[in-house]
Amino acid sequence: MSEDRIVSLDRMRYVKNKASANLALLAIVFDVLYFVGLYRTNDEYYYTFMMGISVIYNLIFMLMAFLSSEGVKNYKKGFSWLLFALGVGQIVRIFILPMQAHEAIGKLGNTTYMVMDDRQFAFSIACLVLSAVCCFVSGIINIDKKNRLDKHVASLKGSAA
Amino acid sequence: MAELSLQHIDKIYDNNVQAVFDFNMDVKDGELIVLVGPSGCGKSTTLRMVAGLEDISAGSLLLDGRDITRTPAKDRDMAMVFQNYALYGHMTVYENMAFSMTLRKEKPNVIHKRVLAAAEILGLESQLNKKPAQLSGGQRQRVAMGRAIVRTPKVFLFDEPLSNLDAKLRGATRREILLLHKRLQATMLYVTHDQTEALTLADRIVCMSMGHVQQIGTPLELYDTPANLFVAGFIGLPPMNFFDVTFEDGKLKGKGFEVALSDEEKYTLSDYNRKQIRLGVRPEDIAEGDSIAVKVFSNENLGMNTLVHGHMGDGLRVSAKLRGWTSYRAGDVMKVDFHKKHFFDLETTNAIRKGV
Repeated sequence: MSEDRIVSLDRMRYVKNKASANLALLAIVFDVLYFVGLYRTNDEYYYTFMMGISVIYNLIFMLMAFLSSEGVKNYKKGFSWLLFALGVGQIVRIFILPMQAHEAIGKLGNTTYMVMDDRQFAFSIACLVLSAVCCFVSGIINIDKKNRLDKHVASLKGSAA
Repeated sequence: MAELSLQHIDKIYDNNVQAVFDFNMDVKDGELIVLVGPSGCGKSTTLRMVAGLEDISAGSLLLDGRDITRTPAKDRDMAMVFQNYALYGHMTVYENMAFSMTLRKEKPNVIHKRVLAAAEILGLESQLNKKPAQLSGGQRQRVAMGRAIVRTPKVFLFDEPLSNLDAKLRGATRREILLLHKRLQATMLYVTHDQTEALTLADRIVCMSMGHVQQIGTPLELYDTPANLFVAGFIGLPPMNFFDVTFEDGKLKGKGFEVALSDEEKYTLSDYNRKQIRLGVRPEDIAEGDSIAVKVFSNENLGMNTLVHGHMGDGLRVSAKLRGWTSYRAGDVMKVDFHKKHFFDLETTNAIRKGV
């Protein structure tokens, strides 16, 4: 291993895992874009029971993703698994509310309208997918860095002994 | 290589208060200069002018021959260590030490190597992941020094760095600074009001009062041959005893006491016959003898020495630092001799020396 790589590895003992932490925060940003777009579709609110669940889930997602961001910043492996779970959750969500809203037909008086048009549907899916990808990549980077750091620390301990 | 030259430097504030008057000094490469004096004497102002934190009202400041009088602080290649550490509480020790280099956009690996090297010098390797709040005062001050070291500046500036530490820690950190100076061989300017720090650390001391430089010299020069009454009274603990005396018939005559002089001392005072001068005697230059009677009022045993306070002649107060353990009681009369004596002109307050 080149000296530069060893120094980079050694730096991880003192430098926080900003890449993973920032990706987790980015996952929140995409989630926000998603629900901001979703809750104002075609200038009409789509009031369903699922919408309430969605609001609560968004709050939980943002809290968990933020906690994970802090966790992976300090190379805590457990938070990677939480991020993977949150990422899976984002993918699953595509098949619940955006899809339901896309298929739903609203009625205003005698006229009907699409609750979520194709463009909005695509935007929602993109936001959720990107949010999920950020969660996965953040978790993967953290696990990789943590493994390398553990190995490096073990080798330092070994050489000290 | 870092030679600093302060030439005719004045500091006048906007309200026309002059804090520093005509400061002149050349600091050699690798020299540790200590600026010492009482509060408000202008020592910190001088240091801040060197750092670029205060404007220089008049005069010039040269670093390796380059005029940096108007150069902004960030471009002076100097690092300052403050009394209150000035660490970022939300950053770890590592991040605090790396911060200045991060701002300069140095490569992360270069920063890492320098921070680890500085941490090794200062014994901070195990503290690098801690926040300043988790450290003791001495450790925080070491972090502040580390932050200065990683920059490898041309000149280190210390502004009363030990003032916030307790006595024991102050002694230990003082020794660390001395070792650091020996190891780095860097040019350092150090401000303190503590004469012990000044005497133990300095290659040369600048003693200041009321914005004026009183004397520049080695610690021994300032202790042994003070230039004037101020330096004589400021350097030395306990302070020098002073008595107004008249030089007459080869003797010094004070109120109710007489002091015999050696031929050399008589020669020194030959221009002051029948004139009043001020005699200075350090407590450690007073020993038990047989010439002057002192009525003791206090006896402080310090272990190796005893500090005896008393009155002589017509109630003149005198302190003597006697070797060993003595047991004088208040009211006892102790006979003493004055060994090394210092003479000062009452008008100019300057030391009286032949050929000076």
